[in-house]
Amino acid sequence: MNKYPFLFLFIGMVLLFGCERDDICAENTPTTPNAIITFYDVANQGTLKSVAGLRVLGEGQSSPVPTVNVVTTDSIAIPLRTNMSETTFIFHQNYSVDDNGTPDDDSDDIIGGNPDTITISYDPEEIYVSRACGFKTIFRNFSITLLDDGDNWIQTFANVTDNLTIENEEQAHINTTH
Amino acid sequence: MKNRLISTLRISLLLLLMPISALAQTEKDSVVVSSDVAKDSIRITNRYGLRLGGDLSKLARTLLEEGYSGFEIMGDYRLTRRLYIAGELGTEEKTTVTNNLNSTASGSYFKAGIDYNTYDNWFGMENAIYAGLRLGASTFKQTINSFTIYNTDQYWGEQFSLTTPIEFSGLTALWTEFIVGIKAEVLPNLYVGINGQLKILVSDDAPSNFENVYIPGYNKTFDSGRFGVGYGYNIAYLIPLYKKEK
Repeated sequence: MNKYPFLFLFIGMVLLFGCERDDICAENTPTTPNAIITFYDVANQGTLKSVAGLRVLGEGQSSPVPTVNVVTTDSIAIPLRTNMSETTFIFHQNYSVDDNGTPDDDSDDIIGGNPDTITISYDPEEIYVSRACGFKTIFRNFSITLLDDGDNWIQTFANVTDNLTIENEEQAHINTTH
Repeated sequence: MKNRLISTLRISLLLLLMPISALAQTEKDSVVVSSDVAKDSIRITNRYGLRLGGDLSKLARTLLEEGYSGFEIMGDYRLTRRLYIAGELGTEEKTTVTNNLNSTASGSYFKAGIDYNTYDNWFGMENAIYAGLRLGASTFKQTINSFTIYNTDQYWGEQFSLTTPIEFSGLTALWTEFIVGIKAEVLPNLYVGINGQLKILVSDDAPSNFENVYIPGYNKTFDSGRFGVGYGYNIAYLIPLYKKEK
């Protein structure tokens, strides 16, 4: 068969292309972004200020956002709901639990700190990524409202840029002062 | 006679790639037949005519593979000792399912071009190891049946899911194709062949906010570029029109 080297070259090329794996979504593919919120000092505009003991809980969820479970930080990334046009969170400052001497019984726990309820509203839009990753959601025209509970630790919210779309996680989307 | 048998065996070995061992017995018969014919004729002649057939692999996949149906007829016409004009006409419907996306492409296609037989046949035999070129065109539609938003953060659990399919119709694609294959006469005038195809996409209409995951005739597209692959497993009948000296 050495008269036909092109045949083997051809079979090789067909196998090469035929075996390409593109049906698994690569981990580093940018897909649905989280909302990135940074915290600034209300008394000293433009200076980042960490929030002590911050715990962020999604409304109706039993556990907090895993990356924001009582941490001291000046920036957080939180997931928005892709099947709704708004997502509500409870931003809890100085979160603490006094279990009243009964660690197994949650009903008599005393929760310390200051919870603020915020709602992020947006127009979700589905964007095609690839055959393996399918579609991602981006969040257009987002805005934030803070529920006035008479004792808000958060002072102001502002969109970072005029381009009101949460498209990627490369920069902060919302600036907060406290 | 012995040499002729060895030559036939070489072709047969290649054909063993195909699940058609049942025909192997009849192939021996055909050699006897053609050698008888050869004894009677003094001059070496080749048969010229129109060969018509279909793709068995597409029929088999239609029966066996979920989410696929396809049909292809093919034909070639011999121009010279080595050169044929050749073409294929077919329809395909293919549903592609990944973890996050379910889409269907369906449509018809036409391919036309030439085949060049590189094989030096032994006296009285007309088998082929050939290379061919095609220009292919397809008109088709694509439907996104369903998808669920891909989100690496599963804090909220349920993600947006598409409930109403989205259809993109009136799509077209154009490609060139390089074919390498073999054809063997297993019964008088009856040929079976297998071929591989390497395709280069020239142009395609990309649906907005989606892409052509599959193009009938071109097959699966790849993220890495404009190359595609395919194969065929054909059975064809030669309608001999005239004989010509070699």
